[in-house]
Amino acid sequence: MNDAILIIGAGVAGINCALNAAEYGTKVYLVDDTPSIGGMMARLDKTFPTNDCSICIEAPQMYEVDNHPNIEILSNTEVRKVKKADGGFKIRLVKKARFVDEDVCTGCGACVEACPVTLPDEMDGKIGGTRKLIHMPFPQAVPNVVVMDPDCRFGRMQDKGACVGGCVVDCSQCRECPIALCLKACQKEGKDAIKLWMGNKNIDIEVNSIVVATGIMDAKPGEGLHGYGLLENVITNMEFERLMNAGGPTAGQIIRPSDGKHAHNIAWLQCAGRGLATGVPYCSKVCCMIAAKQVIITKEHDASVKATVLYNDLKAYGKGFWDFYRKAVDQGVRYVKGRPYYVSEDQETKDLTIRYEDLESGEIKEEEYDMVVLSMGLVAADRNKKLAKVLNLELNELGYFKEKDPFLAPLETNVEGIYLCGGATGPIDISESVVQATAAGIKAVTAR
Amino acid sequence: MSEEIRVGVFVCDCGSNIAGFVDVPGVVEYAKTLPDVAFADEGRWSCSVDYLSKLQNAVKEQKLNRVVIASCTPRTHEPLFKNSVREAGLNPYLLEFVSIREQVSWVHMHDREAATLKAKEMVKMGVAKARLLEEGHEIQLPVGQDAMIIGGGIAGMNAALAVAKQGFKAYLVERKPELGGLLKELAVISGEHGEMTAADILKERVSQVEADPNVTVYTDCVIEAVEGYIGNYKVKLKLNGGSDQNVDLNISTIVVATGMEEIAPEGLFLYGEDERVITLLQLEKKLKENAVSGVGDTVFISCVNSKNEQRGCCNIGCHVSVKDAVALKKANPDSKVYICYRDMSLIREEHFAIDAAKQAGVKFLRFPDAKYPEVSKVDGRLMVKVQDILSGREFELPADLLVLATAFKGNETVQDIKGQLKVSASADGFFQERHIKLGPVDFAADGLALAGCAKSPKTFKESCEESLAAAMRVSIPMANGHIEAEGIVADIDLTDCTKCGLCAKKCPYGAIRVNENKEPAVIKALCKGCGLCAADCPSNSIQIVHFSDEQILAAVEAALEDNPEKKILGFICHWCAHGGVDMAGVSRLQYPPVGRMIRVMCSARVSIKMIERAFELGAAGVLVAGCEFPTCHYISGNYECEKRINRAKKKLAKKGYDVDKLWLTWCSAADGPKYANTMRDMAKQLGLS
Repeated sequence: MNDAILIIGAGVAGINCALNAAEYGTKVYLVDDTPSIGGMMARLDKTFPTNDCSICIEAPQMYEVDNHPNIEILSNTEVRKVKKADGGFKIRLVKKARFVDEDVCTGCGACVEACPVTLPDEMDGKIGGTRKLIHMPFPQAVPNVVVMDPDCRFGRMQDKGACVGGCVVDCSQCRECPIALCLKACQKEGKDAIKLWMGNKNIDIEVNSIVVATGIMDAKPGEGLHGYGLLENVITNMEFERLMNAGGPTAGQIIRPSDGKHAHNIAWLQCAGRGLATGVPYCSKVCCMIAAKQVIITKEHDASVKATVLYNDLKAYGKGFWDFYRKAVDQGVRYVKGRPYYVSEDQETKDLTIRYEDLESGEIKEEEYDMVVLSMGLVAADRNKKLAKVLNLELNELGYFKEKDPFLAPLETNVEGIYLCGGATGPIDISESVVQATAAGIKAVTAR
Repeated sequence: MSEEIRVGVFVCDCGSNIAGFVDVPGVVEYAKTLPDVAFADEGRWSCSVDYLSKLQNAVKEQKLNRVVIASCTPRTHEPLFKNSVREAGLNPYLLEFVSIREQVSWVHMHDREAATLKAKEMVKMGVAKARLLEEGHEIQLPVGQDAMIIGGGIAGMNAALAVAKQGFKAYLVERKPELGGLLKELAVISGEHGEMTAADILKERVSQVEADPNVTVYTDCVIEAVEGYIGNYKVKLKLNGGSDQNVDLNISTIVVATGMEEIAPEGLFLYGEDERVITLLQLEKKLKENAVSGVGDTVFISCVNSKNEQRGCCNIGCHVSVKDAVALKKANPDSKVYICYRDMSLIREEHFAIDAAKQAGVKFLRFPDAKYPEVSKVDGRLMVKVQDILSGREFELPADLLVLATAFKGNETVQDIKGQLKVSASADGFFQERHIKLGPVDFAADGLALAGCAKSPKTFKESCEESLAAAMRVSIPMANGHIEAEGIVADIDLTDCTKCGLCAKKCPYGAIRVNENKEPAVIKALCKGCGLCAADCPSNSIQIVHFSDEQILAAVEAALEDNPEKKILGFICHWCAHGGVDMAGVSRLQYPPVGRMIRVMCSARVSIKMIERAFELGAAGVLVAGCEFPTCHYISGNYECEKRINRAKKKLAKKGYDVDKLWLTWCSAADGPKYANTMRDMAKQLGLS
């Protein structure tokens, strides 16, 4: 019998599940379909309700995972096929081409410097974040190796004028990119880590049990929600999180996308888009505390900044959360029970006006701000659908994985030997994810 | 140890990452001139497989017994080099890591000369420390396979079953005559997934517990005493309500699942004066006993005794109120049921429960935070006056039953358990977990876990999940048969010890115990090596392996041998501050090359003596950098450090030193800019740039 386990998803839930199982003595395959482990938590600035720095507490766990003899990290890897066999599972994984030899790359960054093509970053684009075609996912990435944008290899950058030197060859047909400054830079460093001709690689493993820890996504605002996408200084709470992160694109400067000037008067709109056809239909649990965190940090950056939170019901459900909210209030943050109707923009100054109903007085008010943050909720990860099929699991109508019997057998699924934790089960905070990850861990290591 | 010290120094080019900005051959030649250095070499990529084997050969052929690696950062690469020297037959604690990429070549890119000088001096500091390094050994403490679970509610029963499933013994201790805890008082458990009768769940769980041969249940039982630590707990139980029969247990690990109870809302809303005013839990009992038919109009008031100066949200009141309101409405369709609330704290999909309740005919009224409803008696009937901000109107609701969703507290055994297990709890008697995010079911001390409402009010499902997590945390050492600590631990020499007991009191992990003669001893397997005890010990009787006073002072002296007036000597904690230093490096933030940093595991390791020594030697300034509050990888080391620095300032001032030259900074691992700015500001203020 093989007593290894597979953990799908290496965010804070997958990492904690892996560390617990590995400490227990079980061999762990930790798979993530992105180039680094760390998940959403690695992108956050702080965590509520203590304002612990997110990467400060997660990075040591990531390094521990990296160095643990019982854990094998498979980054940039997807689960393709799962078959029940011998009381366990036979699994086909596909390691997506990274175009970089993970065993050789040391993450020195010479290739990144050499790469002439700068693009808006997927996550931080709106607030000025950029990346190169070849890039490190983030500074603390594990494995600490670069990844090349497949678009670069498949010729999809040509029409964007990205290919320097006027090359006209179809990249997908070309083994030797005549440009490949990254490759030359790498060779100059005495390495030869960049592999322009790299295919996906199948990896077959056998495990005893599986933990699904595929995480969750921040909801994207529907077209034009409170002016998002049309008005430059309307951003989401995740974008704001990156803005205030010292390791983010602005090095922690809370500045407006329109003019790069510091924002002095910011409004947070809670439950943004909830209940709308394009919005999140339920309470995402964490947005109230995310807002409390963001206003407190904003005030810590600059106490003179005016911060207003327009909210509906305050969710301070966890230990220390209420005190955290009170801390925000004590620091002069204005909390208004309000329902926003409309955000408009002064075309010259790009300042914003919010029209809203003050719920306590019933009055319709208009107020001016220089930046508006939309507290978007959390939605099921888009990878769930495909993975559910592969694993033969059911999703609920909201796109999260279904538990077989939430009361009597929490975190178990309709397939024996497959367990759930973290954002795969629904909106959840970090500490609850760690609890579930540890709980799923004991189920997985004692499965048979 | 009279063996000859032979230090090998390996300086990495990191391609051109270091060699492009530092004269690496010059550093290697310089290293060869340092005392006890028997070998020095330049490596293009020190971490590559081929160079590592070259390093291992050098260790063997040159008979090296100390190794200094000068390359990237210990935070990511120390384990790799440690393993490598271990494979070469050298104790890995005889390796010292010097960070000349993140701290030199990446941050002083425009001054090759100064960068090279700094790299040389950092290697010199590394060699000075390495010469004094001693072997370290991972320390194991045997752990048996017997767990005690305190509390026989759902969390305790689940934890016991999960532990027992692995073949370990679970002793389930309950003070009441029967298992079940709060669940016994509830009617129906509901969640976003549906409903279940509490009695059914209870019956199923209790029969499982009773049938499991690995679970021993003690009900009606008082815990008299708990002594010891993981692997070594001695527990005294008194059975039959604490009367006669004693049981002594030898226990390896403990799960605390003592649950919670309601805080009676005495004097609020006529509670205690009028029997028609009851709490949610009292209503649950009525529902359970089917004693609600004929109950007339009912009003719920939420957040009673909650969300005020004393305490926060009760987490479950809204959910239970909505559930019970629907149940009442179903039992008595003609009665009116109102919920008066502040914030409807229903989360996740449970929000849909509100719509269902509205459909069932439950009315929701929302009162302002500052204006709770008023309850009076009018002609013998209860009258609730409430201002509803949703409609902007004031209502007077006659009620036959008034239900208060009141706050909770840890149960009455908390005070005893706190003392017995040496753990902490909040004013409301909820136990304190190790880390609110990443240690949610651990106590600070190893082998102690926490689950369910003993930590804070929880839903049924949350309690179940926590109980499994807690079971996992205590099962890990039981499955391994031991716990193991890294070799970086405290070591007490009793020769000069004054038996003041400060070390035992200060240790956040309970790793130092005093015996009947008041002599302290370190239980090394429990020690995490932060060094707080060593730095505070008034008689200098405690040393930390790999971070001894002697080793650290040797590095201080090496750093300040030449031109001390031009240098800032720094102590940086391994976790966040070093992370910030590394981040400044990765981000290529340039700052003056005047710093000479010494890594310690925790800022709490830095003693006044070390700081004083740096000033004695003429340092232009001293910087102590630790984790940004509240983060500390040793629970509260940075807080202790701050206190000590304040004491240091007083002491230094008395001795005539300029205390403005002693800087303290708290730096997160993401905050490269903060570290770079600190170095710039400090250099400027001290006249170094």
